[in-house]
Amino acid sequence: MDPDLIRNFSIIAHIDHGKTTLSDRLLNLTGTISDRDMEAQLLDSMDLEKERGITIKAHPVTMYYNAKDGKRYELNLIDTPGHVDFAYEVSRSMSACEGALLIIDAAQGVEAQTVANLHLAMKQNLTIIPVINKIDLPHADLEQALVQLEDILAIPREEAIPASAKNGIGIEEILEAIVQRVPPPKPTGAPSTQALLFDSYYDTYRGVVTHVRVFNGALKAGSPVKLLHSGKNVEVKEVGSFNPKPYKRDELTAGETGYFTANIKSPLDIKVGDTLTDAKHPSPPLPGFQEIHPMVYSGIYPINTADYEHLKANLAKLQLNDAAFVYQQETSVALGFGFRCGFLGLLHLEIIQERLRREFEMDIIATYPSVVYQVTMTDGKVEEIDNPAHLPATNHIETIEEPMVKSFIICPNDYIGDMMALVAEKRGLLVHTETLDGSRVMLTCRIPLGEILIDFHDRIKSLTRGYGSMDYEHDGYEASDMVKLDMLVNGESVDAFSCIVHRSKAESRGRSLAAKLGEVIPRQQFQVAIQAAIGGKIVARETVRALRKDVTAKCYGGDITRKRKLLEKQKEGKKRMKSVGSVNIPQEAFVQVLKS
Amino acid sequence: MDTPVPSLYIHVPFCSHKCEYCAFYSELLKPEQVQRFVESLCGELKQLGPALQPRTIFFGGGTPSILSLHQWETILDCMHGMGWGQIPEWTVECNPATVSKEKAQLLKQGGVNRISMGVQSMDAHLLERLGRIHSREQVFRSFEILRGAGFENINLDLMFGIPGQDLKIWHDTLDTIHALNSEHLSAYEVIYEDDTPLFHQMKAGAFDVDEDLIESMYESLIDRSTAAGYHQYEVANFARNQTSQSPYDVPHWACQHNIHYWRAGDYHAAGPSSTEYVQGVRRQHVSNTSLYCDGVQSGGRGIVSEETLIPPVQQGEWAAFAMRMNQGLDFKLFEERFGHHPTQLWGEQMQSIQSRGLAVVEKDHFRPTPLGMRFADAVGSEFVYLQD
Repeated sequence: MDPDLIRNFSIIAHIDHGKTTLSDRLLNLTGTISDRDMEAQLLDSMDLEKERGITIKAHPVTMYYNAKDGKRYELNLIDTPGHVDFAYEVSRSMSACEGALLIIDAAQGVEAQTVANLHLAMKQNLTIIPVINKIDLPHADLEQALVQLEDILAIPREEAIPASAKNGIGIEEILEAIVQRVPPPKPTGAPSTQALLFDSYYDTYRGVVTHVRVFNGALKAGSPVKLLHSGKNVEVKEVGSFNPKPYKRDELTAGETGYFTANIKSPLDIKVGDTLTDAKHPSPPLPGFQEIHPMVYSGIYPINTADYEHLKANLAKLQLNDAAFVYQQETSVALGFGFRCGFLGLLHLEIIQERLRREFEMDIIATYPSVVYQVTMTDGKVEEIDNPAHLPATNHIETIEEPMVKSFIICPNDYIGDMMALVAEKRGLLVHTETLDGSRVMLTCRIPLGEILIDFHDRIKSLTRGYGSMDYEHDGYEASDMVKLDMLVNGESVDAFSCIVHRSKAESRGRSLAAKLGEVIPRQQFQVAIQAAIGGKIVARETVRALRKDVTAKCYGGDITRKRKLLEKQKEGKKRMKSVGSVNIPQEAFVQVLKS
Repeated sequence: MDTPVPSLYIHVPFCSHKCEYCAFYSELLKPEQVQRFVESLCGELKQLGPALQPRTIFFGGGTPSILSLHQWETILDCMHGMGWGQIPEWTVECNPATVSKEKAQLLKQGGVNRISMGVQSMDAHLLERLGRIHSREQVFRSFEILRGAGFENINLDLMFGIPGQDLKIWHDTLDTIHALNSEHLSAYEVIYEDDTPLFHQMKAGAFDVDEDLIESMYESLIDRSTAAGYHQYEVANFARNQTSQSPYDVPHWACQHNIHYWRAGDYHAAGPSSTEYVQGVRRQHVSNTSLYCDGVQSGGRGIVSEETLIPPVQQGEWAAFAMRMNQGLDFKLFEERFGHHPTQLWGEQMQSIQSRGLAVVEKDHFRPTPLGMRFADAVGSEFVYLQD
């Protein structure tokens, strides 16, 4: 296809602002899918995605549009994961495009996620086409949305297209704008084929299916190609596009988007952002490749130890479609055999855990999440530490740096005070405050990633009665006074509760953990001391008083069998307990504390 | 013919009122039903007769003392007919509200020589709380009647950890009971058995169980009873002695019938819901008086379940129950019965128990320490055998 007749674009929007509806409407108007299929058709395929209004995995879709200028254009809609946890994937998907539709809900206005995603699009130099959606809603305020567009996002209001994806208003205008405003793809001038790999998924029958955008040359079945960053040589088996179902094509030419398959067995062999080129006459790689590294780690353990193998198999299945998710075996005194898992961010962590629970019906417990710290040793070496257990002794540490994020919080004016207090509590720094309209503000702050892992988002939602929104982008590392907090039971450290925390928070966290453990550790025949320690220093202590006796029941002839069965049960229960030194603690007790 | 079985338990399944904590099988009193029970019981005893040569007999319930004079005469006649007139220890459980002079005399003359009276508490409010039908005064009166009838061996049953009971009330009950100078005391903690009114009240949050308080009650039970001249010979049992004794001797007035249970002795049982243990087989009677009577009248015994204990289960049970007594586990007796020395079977467990201060390995015995008696469940669970 003539590159001048190709347009590649993506859609960025806040949750529920109408991205999926608009996508469906575009597919429908271009005849890619029929009216009849509209209902059944959704780009998002996982239940969890629909429920949370986020897209984790989506296909690029190719459609054909007869424009008013009389020409027929190939439009490729490249869907993005839509959440900054997947910022790298988002940026790779965007770099396969030349333009982006920015959807703003006319009733709700600009939200935090809109801002975060727009920043990513602008970094890719995409042409932005703002769409003010849901203009037919009773609470719609088109004028207010246009003001926000200019004030907050610095986009001229004349560029906006008023629309209602639900009722088909403005769709034609959007398609025309894509044709007229989004620039056609330009060849890179490289000597041979160059294609960007921006996503992949695992298909039981075809193996790994990789999404590509061809920048230069062409891709067809039978061509020997090279993956520049992973250094692999493979032969292309099949190329095609999605409509939105995959269909085979003879070739993908410069500017086009689609998929290819090859004899690639493991999704781990595909690195998002890698460049595919001619094996014999390689071109240089396309810019922007990065190895992706997990940002957040957490231990995942089966609640029932017998489920270990089952969990292992299910983690492997998840990884097939999610190469960014990593895991390796680990053993915990408290929780037994499990896995140390790495995630791109908070949402990624939640999604994986939810999928394990729901799709795979696994009963699991996750340990307190940890970010990745950069630890500079006294000998000058720098180590990345994602597990408190691996933190070197204090006397070997020069500095500890923690990952930071730039967070955008949008909330009604009334809650500014609450938000500022929350940010301060989370050791954040307010960088910038901006008025969005008469009733809302946007706070931009710099916060340690480790502080927003647990309840930041929930707290914003509850403090603002659901009106606040938050998103973030990664923002480098910063030296910080981090310490390792250990929980000791009669002097023995319980690994599942060790964590790296800021010194200012170590004591209160230690105190609350000690109190919780004090409630759940059953009384023993001797006193049990629960201590929170920073280095060698005890900062909190709880005591579980010694039991003075067992149950003293009447025990006559008719009671003997029953009593014996009770004793057998007690013995059975003891086998399932974990020993921390001489203290026997049921696994359920640990689970209870981790859950709370 | 096998060695005659030396012990007999008889269950009398009637009460005039069901107590709030009780999970034993009993029915409310209905005269025609009781009459039929008495006949069936005699029928079963006649079946068992040839296999028995009782040295201990125990009538439990329910409320055995609720039977009328006439009904007791029938039962006693039946037992005398089997040649069971002179039994070394023959106990009948009584409720303080159902003891009369005539009944006491009848039982005494019939050969009964030990009475176990369910006092539970001496606090009027708590007696009502437990749903007991007797009063504090009836305890004194009944005790006097029993002494008057010539009973020289009386046990009083007490309960602690009753909702609403505090240390002061408990001490008052203990002191009052000690002053009565019975030969034997047994005291146990309220157990919240499934499907008792007390259990449901607890689940519904009607009261909290204060473990600390209950522990203190158990401690003062031991301290005060010891000071009053009783010897603790089992987790929940105390008895007087005639002469001074070593801490490991069984006191003179200990209940031989119960000790026989705890040493895994063979015993037969008669009556609905009762359990017997003969040669490694435990059998239970149907927990329904009509069905029991039907069973006996059609020539059977109304047995509904039977469990054969394999040797490791028998051994574990033996050891677990032995460790509830001050005597502990007697190596020689055990070896005679099972052909193994306990240290061969449980060397590691015994070391662990000893290292925790719960028992001491001696030449011929594994003796629980006073601490070990308090943690009899923890000790016992080391010995029981887990079948897959």
